[in-house]
Amino acid sequence: MKYILQKLGFYLVAFWAALTVNFFLPRLLPGNPVDIMLAKLAQRGPVTPEAREAVELLLGTNTEAPLIVQYGQYLGKLFTLDLGTSVAFFPASVTDIIAQTLPWTIGLIGVATVISFILGVTLGMLAGWKRGSWLDNLIPVTTMLQSVPYFWLALILLFVLGGMWDLFPLNGGYNVYETSPGWNLEFIGSVIYYGTLPALTIVISSVGGWMLGMRNMMVSTLSDDYILTAEAKGLRPVRIMTTYAARNAVLPSVAGFAISLGFVVAGSIVTEAVFSYPGIGSALLNAVGSNDYSLMQGLFLVITLSVLGANLLVDLLYSFIDPRTRARS
Amino acid sequence: MSSTLSRPRRLGLAAAALLSLTSLALSGCAGGGGASNDAGGGADNTSITVFNGATGTIAENFNPFSSTALQPTLGVIFEPLFWYNAASDDPPTPLLAESFEWNDDGTQLTIKTRDGVKWSDGEPFTAKDVAFTFNLVNETPELNTTGLAATAEATDDTTAVLTFEENSFMQEPSVLGNRGIVPEHIWKDIADPITETNPDPIGTGPFKVKDFTAQSYLLEKNDLYWEEGKPAINEVRYISLDTADAATGALLAGEVDWMSSFLPGLEKILADNEGLSYVNTPALTASIFTCSSEKLGCKGPQTDPAVRQAIYQGIDREQLNALAGGGFAATASPTLVIPDRDADWIADPENTETPANANVEEARKVLEDAGWVEGSDGIREKDGERLSLGIQTVSGYSDFISLNDAMSQQLREVGIELKPTAITYNEWVNNLNIGEYQLTLESIGLQPSNNPYYAYEKWYNSANTTPVGESALNNNTARYTNPKVDEALSVARSTNDEAVQKEQYGIIQEEIVRDMPYIPIYVNSMLTEFNTDRATGWPTNEDPYALPATWKSWDNGIVLKNITPTE
Repeated sequence: MKYILQKLGFYLVAFWAALTVNFFLPRLLPGNPVDIMLAKLAQRGPVTPEAREAVELLLGTNTEAPLIVQYGQYLGKLFTLDLGTSVAFFPASVTDIIAQTLPWTIGLIGVATVISFILGVTLGMLAGWKRGSWLDNLIPVTTMLQSVPYFWLALILLFVLGGMWDLFPLNGGYNVYETSPGWNLEFIGSVIYYGTLPALTIVISSVGGWMLGMRNMMVSTLSDDYILTAEAKGLRPVRIMTTYAARNAVLPSVAGFAISLGFVVAGSIVTEAVFSYPGIGSALLNAVGSNDYSLMQGLFLVITLSVLGANLLVDLLYSFIDPRTRARS
Repeated sequence: MSSTLSRPRRLGLAAAALLSLTSLALSGCAGGGGASNDAGGGADNTSITVFNGATGTIAENFNPFSSTALQPTLGVIFEPLFWYNAASDDPPTPLLAESFEWNDDGTQLTIKTRDGVKWSDGEPFTAKDVAFTFNLVNETPELNTTGLAATAEATDDTTAVLTFEENSFMQEPSVLGNRGIVPEHIWKDIADPITETNPDPIGTGPFKVKDFTAQSYLLEKNDLYWEEGKPAINEVRYISLDTADAATGALLAGEVDWMSSFLPGLEKILADNEGLSYVNTPALTASIFTCSSEKLGCKGPQTDPAVRQAIYQGIDREQLNALAGGGFAATASPTLVIPDRDADWIADPENTETPANANVEEARKVLEDAGWVEGSDGIREKDGERLSLGIQTVSGYSDFISLNDAMSQQLREVGIELKPTAITYNEWVNNLNIGEYQLTLESIGLQPSNNPYYAYEKWYNSANTTPVGESALNNNTARYTNPKVDEALSVARSTNDEAVQKEQYGIIQEEIVRDMPYIPIYVNSMLTEFNTDRATGWPTNEDPYALPATWKSWDNGIVLKNITPTE
């Protein structure tokens, strides 16, 4: 119990530090939201000199207040879950934008990460079990795919599978022409169809790491004495592989998996840009482009929470599944 | 299924295996090929798709007063009284009004509104709605983006009178052409017009909202539209794409019918696709902005007018167009109006066009005369100061980056060194506004009307500038101050007699052509691509009946109501 409280306390401090950085970092960016909005308006049509005053009033950008006061207001509002109003999407609230974009990102990147993990660990287990097999020789290929810059791999796959062969749609989260969001088969099918290619690129580019890690742990576990004992007892090989070797070998991968789940939200920017996917990454890009402090803060908050949450989870879970890491009590 | 499916089906093997159920349902529907119809009572159900530059998630906002309103709100859903065509020198086209008249001292504007117009909910449109709209703007500073100071009154059902506090001839285009009129019977009950998102907009425009999602929205034909037989197409869909590559891909795949982007290798792309065409309507003058006033805190050789003049003479615009403009750019005017459209406003015919090629001799002579002498490395010096200038642009603006590189080579010939830097958009906007630059590349943008007053007022009036360090609010960012120009502007402002105005502009043009605080390069191309498979009648190079760019408010409505389904 004390262990858990200690952990929680630590995470609380980390969370506060992240919130503080979160507040000051966007404000170090050059420019201010009003100028950017005016410049963008000017691209669409004429903007009169008087427009600035109106936009300042509209956005309520109170740049007069000292930073420390703004910081206090920011912390206070966080407790009431009021993340403010977005500038880029005015008058939509930041919470609305997050609610609209987060499901897409978690759906796509989350599912892709899980698939990649399961696939990688399973293949790694088999490769470690039968060293020197064709599967084992596949590992260098997958790690090579991982070392190719992700955006490049994604663009190539998009060009070949989407452009040349017409197998997959080129952009978007679902077929906007023929379906509308809702719990109907058409829409869900369309989401799966449109998500397949982006998910595929994520799996291809990340499966190698899981596979390599699992394979190596498997090899070192297999040389342990208890495996020899198990074999001597005459257990079935499949049982030895899964419940004796893999169960122990998978431990480091589980920790890595929890952390990569935390980065699901943060790691989606490139994917979403390449595939025009309507998730949180493209919202973040938009926010940075418009100096939209509130939206940036809101999105960073979600990212911080997910990373810290995943870490906390793995900390607590780990002490449960691997008693050796438990602190001496 | 609500919409018809005339789009090419793209069912992949993998997907088909993955979703056999769904695929079956979809392809069963696709078999119809555009036969079903739910709107126009037997007419062809043509649906076109527009990409207007929207990226990421789309936030619902059809409030015509809002600065972040979705772009079709202005022109497609709500209409102004008149429409000012930035693509030609025609007089404004009447939309919701039929005529207007000023009193002699420019304080009273009488507008005759169109009879027989109906809001999309069936209520009649009257002059009361016009008066209501302008009073609402006047009373709400948050919405008053045009500096309107007038009270409005409807004297009868078709006459609205705006009374201004002072001489306001120059408010004309922003009142008549830049304000969407809203229905009083709806907006009088709206509690907060500032944050209202108006999800179910009632307007007079040719289209109304049918369906909205955060990824795409659909407009449908307004059956009550006042102009007989228009619009001819039934539905317009707006989509969001994140990158220019995605947009190009969508155009080629036939998923987008109308978009405006600069596509490298455009001619080649179009040659392979019969259904695609494009139009080029240059309207924005790419210019070198110079931080020109030493008095206001600008530092560097560009504060010397001779240096600016030498740059003006020393660049080879023909070569720049070939290298950076893709050959699509048009010739600019040193008076910063568009020569093709606004030739009538140029007082001295000498100043109509910029030189096409570099005038190296002339540039060298200007610099010699001003005391800049050649140094050992070929770069000129004066009192120990090297003629070396930083020039900024936005990283990612590939044509501007090429411009900078080409100009640095060209200007080396006359002994000027350019040092290009590419920075983020936000930093660049900020630097431009606070004067933290020597030279920077920017476009002289669109104005409320084609009268040069608006450009001259915005970019040259010393009242619209600030000392370096304070934001010039996207106005006179070159920090140009010239009492003669200010004086001429105030005379031009007080009249609507174009002959008097032209005379004043002549004075301004003489000053700015000599001082050159904004050095014009060329009028940048504005390329718009169309797919003619579903709809025809788009603006062409021969008949640019509207500025066809998809991001241009107001003109969109004109284009969308004039295109017709392809036979």
